[in-house]
Amino acid sequence: MALRSSLGAQIGGRLSRSALVRQVALLALLIVTAGFWIFFSVAASGFTSDFNLFSLLRFAAIQITIGFAQMVALSIGDMNLAVGAIGGATGMFAGWAMQTLGLPPEVAVLFALAVGLLLGFGNALLITWTRINSFIVTLATASLITGAMLILTHARPFSELPGSFTSFSEMETAGLPISPLVLVMLAVAAALFFLYRNLSLGREMLAVGANRQAARMSGLSVDRVVLLTHGLSGALAATAGLMAIAADHTASPSLGSDWLLASFVSPAIGGTLLSGGLVSVPGTVLGGILLATISNGLLLVNIDNFWITVFLGVVLLLAVGLDRLTRAAGGVVS
Amino acid sequence: MPRLRGVAPGLALGLLVIDLMGMLVLSVVTPSFLSTYNLFVTGRDLSILLLVALAQMVVLSLGQMNLSIGSIGGLVAIIESGLMVRYGWPVPIALVAGLLLGIVCGVINGVLVDWTKINSFVLTLATSYVFAGINLGITHATPFYHIPSEISSFGQARVGPFPLMAAVTVVLTVLLAGFLYQVVLGRQLLAVGGNQLAARLSGLPVRRAVVTAHAISGFLAAVAGTLLMAQLGQGQPTIGATWVLPSFAGPIIGGAALSGGSAPVIGTVLAMVLISLIDDGLVLVNADPFWVQFLIGALILGAVVLGRTRLGDIMTFLLGARRASRQELSR
Repeated sequence: MALRSSLGAQIGGRLSRSALVRQVALLALLIVTAGFWIFFSVAASGFTSDFNLFSLLRFAAIQITIGFAQMVALSIGDMNLAVGAIGGATGMFAGWAMQTLGLPPEVAVLFALAVGLLLGFGNALLITWTRINSFIVTLATASLITGAMLILTHARPFSELPGSFTSFSEMETAGLPISPLVLVMLAVAAALFFLYRNLSLGREMLAVGANRQAARMSGLSVDRVVLLTHGLSGALAATAGLMAIAADHTASPSLGSDWLLASFVSPAIGGTLLSGGLVSVPGTVLGGILLATISNGLLLVNIDNFWITVFLGVVLLLAVGLDRLTRAAGGVVS
Repeated sequence: MPRLRGVAPGLALGLLVIDLMGMLVLSVVTPSFLSTYNLFVTGRDLSILLLVALAQMVVLSLGQMNLSIGSIGGLVAIIESGLMVRYGWPVPIALVAGLLLGIVCGVINGVLVDWTKINSFVLTLATSYVFAGINLGITHATPFYHIPSEISSFGQARVGPFPLMAAVTVVLTVLLAGFLYQVVLGRQLLAVGGNQLAARLSGLPVRRAVVTAHAISGFLAAVAGTLLMAQLGQGQPTIGATWVLPSFAGPIIGGAALSGGSAPVIGTVLAMVLISLIDDGLVLVNADPFWVQFLIGALILGAVVLGRTRLGDIMTFLLGARRASRQELSR
């Protein structure tokens, strides 16, 4: 099963060993995740209850979508520090549109996604016009977006969202403990997988990430790729924000403020290169599931939430350290 | 006469003019700006945030980042206040232990960055969660109240309108500038930031430079955490939680390049003065406090757009230091 989407892998030959290593790494991630599931099923009473699985998978779906928003930015070798700010602001926007304006949820969702897209475009325009690197630009715009959101909303939550919107996250799918939010995430994952494997835009994004200068010299419109990528990142952040307010039944002004680590952990565990040019959509899904499993399971065995934070930091370190080893073994980086 | 790398006289002069104009406008518009109490409070905030910004600047001068400055500051404040309040340690010993802890945290960052070659952004993001998690695991988000009165009265002490803690910041700032511009290891640090491969090939102690920069960063974060603890009069677990933005805003507005090689101490000082003026001005005119966050974001963008004449630095960073240095090698 070809699970990696590497531009280099097409070249074959020299890089095939690295592709193999990445497959093995993904398999190892799958085994580790399965190991945690077995461990918690035995050690933590209630882990396999329908109620717990439902909330675990729903939490995982949101974390994975947050990870996707960062993953697409990483794929072109950029960062988007504004993922949380955009997710929070669009979540609040949707809350305002539904509660104050009384718009139907479908319309509010579309508007919120459009706002996310536009905010992402804004990031991209600043990056391409000024040639300032994405770190500084998105650090600044994150502050601008969150500041503007707090000024406009006076930091008041929207907690009376329409029932038709909030009940969406509570429904079960075909009698299984699976929220429709999980299906939304899977649809997004399938679309991204298709984008990076089959569409020229996806290949162009990876080319820009692998070597921006070379991509530019080969006649690629790098600015166009950057624009579309950051727009996509913004729209994905908005999707995560909408999923989060549906699950929380409220749009709170602190939404998104703690997404920074989560946005990097899932892609990093899943084997997405932080320097760009290589993404793994299935890896990000598995990474998010592992993240959610650990958080959920440790809580059930009565480990303090604070120590889980420590654990996640260590997991990120190990994941990135492993990533370095993988690359060294595969010979991608000399 | 040593060349002061990265201190762009034009930029510093521009910031100085803006700062002076800001002070003039504030003292005309809101007379309470010049009141002793307001100057004291503003000076105290500035003393702490300047150390936070310098902690970031030291690491930026290497071409690296430290996202764990806030969580080091918070952890140090918690450990110091915990040792004093719960275990009754004498004040000087507890403070020394806390500052040593800050240095140790910085050394951990530096050694891990050097050893694993992991991108410093991701590495310090991860360690910041480790440090912050330990802080909250110890305190369960409850502050240590009733720290010894020597500390809390130091936080309120002033000479005229000048807070006493400003002396700590001034001394450390001068020492840092002296280290970076005059001491061999400091110069080597800037050389490593300018071009790591060239520095390595020239036989410079790259590892020592990296670990030293992160250790200094951890130390400055620890001092900032200690000062904020003194100001608040208690060991607050939330100390440092909001430091990421100011830590980058100061050096970036002050003219630091993310690609390393420059250490604009004066620019960082002037940029932090500007941020304090904005902060104070908004308080004095009773503006929504959320404007601070918005305006700092705008200020960063504005400053970088204005200062983007250093296009070469930005291109180097975009292409990655490794690739750039490889190109230079093959040239």
